[in-house]
Amino acid sequence: MTLTTRVLLAVVAGVLLVPAAAEAQRLTLTLNPQVITFPQADPDTDPVIMAAPVEISYRVQGNAAGSWVLTVLASGDLSSGGATIDISNVTWIATPAPPFQNGTLSRTVEQTLASGTGNVNPAKTGSLTFRLANAWTYTAGTYTQTVVFTLSTP
Amino acid sequence: MRLPPATIVFALLLCPAAAAAQSDTATLNASVSGLARLSLSSGSITFADADPDAVPFVPASPAAISITAKARATEGGEVTLTVLATDDLRSGVDTIPASAISWTASGPGFVSGTLSSTAAQLVASWPGSGVYTGSQSFLFQNLWTHPTGTYTVTVVFTLSAS
Repeated sequence: MTLTTRVLLAVVAGVLLVPAAAEAQRLTLTLNPQVITFPQADPDTDPVIMAAPVEISYRVQGNAAGSWVLTVLASGDLSSGGATIDISNVTWIATPAPPFQNGTLSRTVEQTLASGTGNVNPAKTGSLTFRLANAWTYTAGTYTQTVVFTLSTP
Repeated sequence: MRLPPATIVFALLLCPAAAAAQSDTATLNASVSGLARLSLSSGSITFADADPDAVPFVPASPAAISITAKARATEGGEVTLTVLATDDLRSGVDTIPASAISWTASGPGFVSGTLSSTAAQLVASWPGSGVYTGSQSFLFQNLWTHPTGTYTVTVVFTLSAS
């Protein structure tokens, strides 16, 4: 068998062995604003502190038959120097539902924010309102933490 | 059969797209300021008249005052509760030293003490933010030397967090 023949057979085999070529997947995710602020509040009068709503825009292309999921993961607890507030004290309310769902932040396990199937094109938006359980036990300070939102097609 | 390198590259290009992901980040900020709130179960206490021989220390009515202290301290800070009499016990021109009143206390962080009109006295202290409860039971030292009269004094409780 000549080299040309072997190449040709290999190309044919490659085409037969793989499914039809998929359209390139394109995922787009944006947050606005990207800073979520919980203002100071008295735990007795405001047991839950609400931040301003965050608009989340997402678009899924090239995913005609597949599923998609939007998750959120905190990089750690809220921290201020050596003081911390467990990140599980931060919850969110999301709309519209579905595809969005309410939940509680975690620093160890990605939490599902929204999910669906197929394409989302043009882009759609959802609204997230984060809430911090307010308590007298918190050490005074200015706390911060990063949260990562991920749109993926598993 | 070993395939030429060109064949392998061609086959990979035809494979379906791998799982894709797109991420964005946000920053959470929370402001927790120092704060303190104190509540007492009663705004006044009374010591009834009594025979000094029979009752050398007169218990107050109500017998105990419940105290709830809520405070937020800074990292490594402390929460303290003090009490200071604004004057001696006074009935017209007659006086009885504020130190005639003492207290016993119960609850985590609470200590017993004696009232003073010159220096704030420690009632309780705690190592950091939280909600703390306890009680104080006041006693009046009853002496034959006290002039007769109806005496009053105001005491100020101060809750502070550092």
